Amino acid sequence: MALPSEHTAPRVGPVKSSVSLLSNSQVVWSIASFIALILAWQLSAFLIDSTRFPGPLTVVDAMLRESASGDLFYHVGVTLARVTAAFFLAMLLGSAIGLALGRVRQADQFFDTWLIFFLNLPALVTIILCYVWFGLTEVAAILAVTVNKIPNVAVTVREGARSLSRDLQEMAHVYDFGWRKTLLNVTLPQLAPFFAAAARGGLALVWKIVLVVELLGRSDGVGHQLHIAFQLFDVPMILAYAVAFIIVVQLIELLILQPIDRRANRWRR
Amino acid sequence: MAAVSGPLRIRVDAKRYPAVADRAELPVLSRVDLSVEPGSFVVITGPSGCGKSTLLNIVAGLDDDYEGSVAFGSDSPRLSFMFQTPRLLPWRTVRQNIELVMPDDDPSNAQRIDDMLAAVGLSGQESQYPERLSLGMQRRAALARAFIVEPDILLMDEPFVSLDDPTAAALRDILMGLWDKRPTTVLFVTHDRGEAIMLGTRLIRVGGQPATVISDQQVSLSRKERGDREAVHRMQAELFAS
Repeated sequence: MALPSEHTAPRVGPVKSSVSLLSNSQVVWSIASFIALILAWQLSAFLIDSTRFPGPLTVVDAMLRESASGDLFYHVGVTLARVTAAFFLAMLLGSAIGLALGRVRQADQFFDTWLIFFLNLPALVTIILCYVWFGLTEVAAILAVTVNKIPNVAVTVREGARSLSRDLQEMAHVYDFGWRKTLLNVTLPQLAPFFAAAARGGLALVWKIVLVVELLGRSDGVGHQLHIAFQLFDVPMILAYAVAFIIVVQLIELLILQPIDRRANRWRR
Repeated sequence: MAAVSGPLRIRVDAKRYPAVADRAELPVLSRVDLSVEPGSFVVITGPSGCGKSTLLNIVAGLDDDYEGSVAFGSDSPRLSFMFQTPRLLPWRTVRQNIELVMPDDDPSNAQRIDDMLAAVGLSGQESQYPERLSLGMQRRAALARAFIVEPDILLMDEPFVSLDDPTAAALRDILMGLWDKRPTTVLFVTHDRGEAIMLGTRLIRVGGQPATVISDQQVSLSRKERGDREAVHRMQAELFAS
């Protein structure tokens, strides 16, 4: 994402403080709600009293065991690498397709049916076909996830490309911006919210599909570990990996996506 | 600075908006033929929606679907356009908005922007984002952007519309100050008759459908008289009499 040339852009005081004010009370609520969730979980586990419904402590115990052996980090890492590769590929290709469809009407009319077809193609079908056609390989796995995600990105970015401001385009033309200045200063900033929306939705979708891909045809990664745990009916391990991955995705959201979002939106009133 | 040698020649034999759905083709302009001397301040006035903006778009090269031609006095004239809405980039600061229309990496840019910001009264606001400013302030920034490129031809499309009187008057003063310092050919569209008289050295009235030139008159008022409400009213009554 292109960012403005940085020489004078101090954050504006009032907006910043209202944001932190908001997040302060939000933090309190989040913590309270998190504790309530854990308590409810523990209580139900106590009442049900079954090895198939372990409480939070048992799951934490499983997590510690898996971390100690290094398995947890290895498999979460492998999955994360696949998520990253598929995510960037899908964002890149999906954005290019979305831009083309949003700007060229004939292309949009022609390919709209294709897009609807791929949007409604079940993820599982894509995954099976990729494995059948390309073998149980890493390339097939990444490809399957990418193909699943591309239509969503394309649709979102197409919406952005359709709504590009003609007024600003004309302004850039009159003042002789040239294509590069126009792209960096006029076009991309208008698309930024759409890229952000595509990225948010994309991450959530991609990591879920990656687990299925791993379950069906990979011998490592969180999906594969879940598969083994399923065969052993090892519920604490299933939950241990699930929780570990939720934590990772939340960290990505908090430490990467949200700061980018805030930065891209700081000019808004 | 590319000096404009000859007059700006605008000929629009016909301009129509094509038929859309159930609406028939709409003729907008017809037989408009204008020759504008370099350095003159031409005000084009007429009823709303009569095609004044379309005419400016044609001169700016934003609309080339018309019969006729636009010939500039020099080969590659520098154009500026102050639109009806400020059309600033909301994700760039005031300063960045002005900087973007300037040639890249010219060491004198920073100083020139400082001077221009001072001239339009935006010195303290340079690092603000446009949407956090009032419309009047945004218009000042748009005016600064229009003048910083040292245009050979400056197009202005009702640039002071929907402002309260004192704000519009302040902006007109700033415009005249900038124009005095650096005279350039101006085509100024407005439907405010008082504003037309206060600013223009030449008044062109367009009207009809399709619109054409109704009258083309000189505004022979001194700078001092333009600030005098009575004189402006008298001139307005005289020029708009027919």
